[in-house]
Amino acid sequence: MSRQRTDWVAVRGVVGKDLRAVRRSKSVVIPMLAVPVLLMIVLPAVIGLSARATEGVGVDRLLTSIPGDLAEPILSLPEREQLIVLVNGYLLAPLFLIVPLMVSAVLAADAFAGEKERKTLESLLHSPIRDRDLFVAKFLTAFLPAVAVSWLGFVAFAIVTNTIAWPVMHRMFVPTKLWMVMILWVAPAVATLGLSVMVRVSARTSTSQEANQLGGAVILPLIFLAVGQSTGLLLVDTPVAIAIGAVIWAVALVLLRGGVKRFTRDALVAQV
Amino acid sequence: MTTGLTRQFPGGVGLDSLSIDVAPGEVLALLGPNGAGKTTTVRLLNGVLAPDAGSATVLGLDPVTAGDELRARTGVLTEHAGLDDRLTARENLRFAAMVRNLRGPAIESRIEELLHRFGMTERADRLVRGASTGQRKRLGLARALLHDPDVLFLDEPTSGLDPTATRDVVELIGSLASEHGRTIVLATHFLGEAGRLADRMAVLDRGSLIAFGRPDDLAAELWDGMECDLDLGGSPSAAAIDAANAVSGVRDTTPHARGITIRVSTPDVVAGVVRSLVAHQVDVHAAVPRPPTLEDVYFEIEARRALETPTTTPPPTGPPAPPPMRKRVRT
Repeated sequence: MSRQRTDWVAVRGVVGKDLRAVRRSKSVVIPMLAVPVLLMIVLPAVIGLSARATEGVGVDRLLTSIPGDLAEPILSLPEREQLIVLVNGYLLAPLFLIVPLMVSAVLAADAFAGEKERKTLESLLHSPIRDRDLFVAKFLTAFLPAVAVSWLGFVAFAIVTNTIAWPVMHRMFVPTKLWMVMILWVAPAVATLGLSVMVRVSARTSTSQEANQLGGAVILPLIFLAVGQSTGLLLVDTPVAIAIGAVIWAVALVLLRGGVKRFTRDALVAQV
Repeated sequence: MTTGLTRQFPGGVGLDSLSIDVAPGEVLALLGPNGAGKTTTVRLLNGVLAPDAGSATVLGLDPVTAGDELRARTGVLTEHAGLDDRLTARENLRFAAMVRNLRGPAIESRIEELLHRFGMTERADRLVRGASTGQRKRLGLARALLHDPDVLFLDEPTSGLDPTATRDVVELIGSLASEHGRTIVLATHFLGEAGRLADRMAVLDRGSLIAFGRPDDLAAELWDGMECDLDLGGSPSAAAIDAANAVSGVRDTTPHARGITIRVSTPDVVAGVVRSLVAHQVDVHAAVPRPPTLEDVYFEIEARRALETPTTTPPPTGPPAPPPMRKRVRT
């Protein structure tokens, strides 16, 4: 049987409806934006201001505890710049991966479980939208805001960091090439990886809360793994970072493909 | 048309070997208590659930292999209307249109027309969150009709409605049934609305079909002859009851506060009963034939089934409960 083309009008319909509804739901929007604002604006601002106010905070001891080739770029900087570059340039970076994961997890939990809670799922399943298109729509509903918040948040982070650090640095130091790889390539991959899990979890649970709890158990180790690995990611060569991103993409896409194949309205409606 | 349509769930049988057919333009009532399999039938017929056994054909399409194509030609009002509270009435309809790949000025004017027809124009741009159950049902019906479907599935369309809203929705459904020869499958446990709308009825119980056909045909199978109410202006005397019973062809008499209900083998027997009563100095104010309603048929089927079904629980120690039949006094 020939593969049918995606009905993008229907997909846009579902995505548009869900995003409009999310925008009107303060209980979803506020927690979804609070963490990015804290991580990408408040924290770098505080650290930048602290670095400006202090003279020569000793980061040597911390830097000597990490491998020499990783610490070298920071140790070669003037002492005043070391703290701000270490924290805003490197240590905060891993936390950025939490943003796409968290935003996508919150929205994906609502994808099907929320529809069940609101008793809107059945009427959606009685519509002619194809199973695959519905899955794609629900994926995009979480993926697009997750990536948008991450990218916009990064722009805000770069502006705040460079502005506050200017009196110390006298130059723009974010984004670096590796940062760009991380934000444009790795962060969407991580969001996709999380979503490939969360959309499936949401389809199998009855409430968003249940989906969040169950999804959290799956996503949290992923977050720790991402955070743990990405500091190193920022210190590797660009091609290596791209390769690591590619591996994450590959795993995420395999999981996602499996999700699409196993997703049927029959399985969904049997739980309603 | 369905043949041996069966669907099991982990908790038991959802539907067991359902075989029914519905002609174009008919209203089919799926009747039965909660858990009878009505919603499962609608889901199977619309290709939302796949059967474990058996098959169905709706509008010439197999719901399993051509579910998307079929759903493009059917409209559904689910029990909870399924509207998104966070959107306005108009946005809900626009969303339904987009999912059906309908766009442009034509669909906008169709939305406007339906909002007007279902009395939702004033609420069109307000969130559904504050709407009453009746308004939700009306909006749900409008959504089901957006694409002018050939088949309409209505699952418990009046549940949760007050009497006025129920009357409004039943009238709306009645008007929909008469439009364009549209076929309607009405799943309900409210017999009043089914009686007013249905051409045929399928009675389900715990997933099994226990009766299927036109209410009149089923009544003919259930009861011999026809019923007629005789208005005698008050409670009948024993002599009046005897006079009625004495007429050949009278099967059954049931006295009531205004007279007697008689069951006769053929309609012409009624005239003989009237003559006999008049001869016995009994005034007959009116004789009104009383064909069995869908409700009568349903309860009779249920009652007979209850008598036929052996109980699995030990009998109570007290006096046995009477079967849930219409009370009938044989004289």
